[in-house]
Amino acid sequence: MRDTVQEEIIKQFEGLEWLDRYALLISFAKELEPMDAKFRTEKNSISGCQSRVWIISHKEDGRLMFHLDSEAMITRGIMSLLMKVVNNRPPREVVDLDLYFIEEIGLKSNLSPARADGLASIIRRIREVAEGEMN
Amino acid sequence: MTGHRKDFPILAKEIYGKRLVYLDNAATSQKPNSVIDTISDFYRSDNSNIHRGVHYLSEVSSERYEKAREKVSSFIGADEPAEVTFTAGTTDSINQVARSLEPVLRGNEVLITGVEHHSNIVPWQLAGARLRAIPMDKDCDLLTDSIEITDRTKLIAISHASNVLGSINPVREVTRIAKEHDIPVLVDAAQSIQHLPIDVKDIGCDFLAFSGHKMYAETGIGVLYTSERFSEIMPARGGGGMVDKVTLEGTTYLKPPLRYEAGTPHIAGAISIGAAIDYMQGIGMDKIRRHEHDVYSYARERLLETDGVTVYGNTGQMCGSISFNLENIHHYDTGLILDKMGIAVRTGHHCAQPLMRTLGIEGTVRASFALYNTKEDADALIDGIGKVRMMHA
Repeated sequence: MRDTVQEEIIKQFEGLEWLDRYALLISFAKELEPMDAKFRTEKNSISGCQSRVWIISHKEDGRLMFHLDSEAMITRGIMSLLMKVVNNRPPREVVDLDLYFIEEIGLKSNLSPARADGLASIIRRIREVAEGEMN
Repeated sequence: MTGHRKDFPILAKEIYGKRLVYLDNAATSQKPNSVIDTISDFYRSDNSNIHRGVHYLSEVSSERYEKAREKVSSFIGADEPAEVTFTAGTTDSINQVARSLEPVLRGNEVLITGVEHHSNIVPWQLAGARLRAIPMDKDCDLLTDSIEITDRTKLIAISHASNVLGSINPVREVTRIAKEHDIPVLVDAAQSIQHLPIDVKDIGCDFLAFSGHKMYAETGIGVLYTSERFSEIMPARGGGGMVDKVTLEGTTYLKPPLRYEAGTPHIAGAISIGAAIDYMQGIGMDKIRRHEHDVYSYARERLLETDGVTVYGNTGQMCGSISFNLENIHHYDTGLILDKMGIAVRTGHHCAQPLMRTLGIEGTVRASFALYNTKEDADALIDGIGKVRMMHA
């Protein structure tokens, strides 16, 4: 199923050269509110990524809110897009969500297996959190 | 020394529409036509198993395999080909030594340096040895005066050149000190065999390990040189092709080197090392060293004079790798952006986490050079860095 937030993101990246796509991700990264250092712990980090990534979440009125962060700007930009797409949805919706925008803006096919694995572990963690919140 | 780039067909490739600038040679080198053709010709005309057959092809294959061993032997200055064992690579070579020496190492100590690759750390730990690093100064230069050998020290295992910093360790000085205490020395030559003329007798080591794929040959093949005085150690691996007599009660082994090559070896891989040696010797190792030194020093100087760039390590004697970081820019971002400009580098800890801890960093960007790299490649890297900085401004 097409999803309006993802459609908007895809439109923003349409027709951009690679370096322009990275420039756009870096600009999103700069806008993202940094995660407080006290949450940047081993427990909140996700392994399997080439740059360190942290994830925290809470529930507001039955909707999930994730905060992701990374020390690398391009990763951080991708995290900011993930937050735009998955946040403010009920856990059930997050579990079922098809994150097709990643492939469509060229991030998945471009990322090497090791890097794609990093992104895959982040998505897996988001889904695990959502599944936990469903019970 | 120019024009060797054309010997490597992959270097004609465009990446994202840009000229490929391949600076990830410490991870693996590209292969010249002569090596690719040798591998392909072997399978087209001579392929057979070795040392067992009675038929024509088996004889030809065995001869080509043993000829490759002779080439390696003379390339590294060994006394005889029997001192050369083909392995699966540097990691396998070091693991085999660790396994063979385990009865001596277990509960004792191996001296290493603070710049080692994990492959010269973990095998010793698996063999039950405790590790101690020889002290180094702030530039990661080894302090050989501070080498402390105790009753528990059973081996010194050091890299010839760092895969991260490119620093060349004073291996001759280390073997000299080791000899005074009758301690064997293993030299990990994975990052030097392709850059420097190497003579095991001159170095004075008992073991020397390196990989084929970093010296223009295939992956999955490597070498372990073992000096004559360790020629009778227990083989790390058992199986066919290495035995004299087998009974259910016990087994006697063949003489080296076959004793250490259980199972069917990577025959084409060994032959590809022979072809790679022919290729390098056709140019001349001294000439390769001079050319690479020129390009390497030029790249290092240009990085050092670039604003906001930190270059790590300095021992004066360097080869291969240069590690650096850009101020306030993550190494991963740098690598991703350079990639899109057709520049292949490596980022991360480079399998040297203890060194990263010493430097107080998570990782670096590593540019590593081979004989086909030129000052033009170094210029492309500097331009790329400019672009990375601009995108983060």
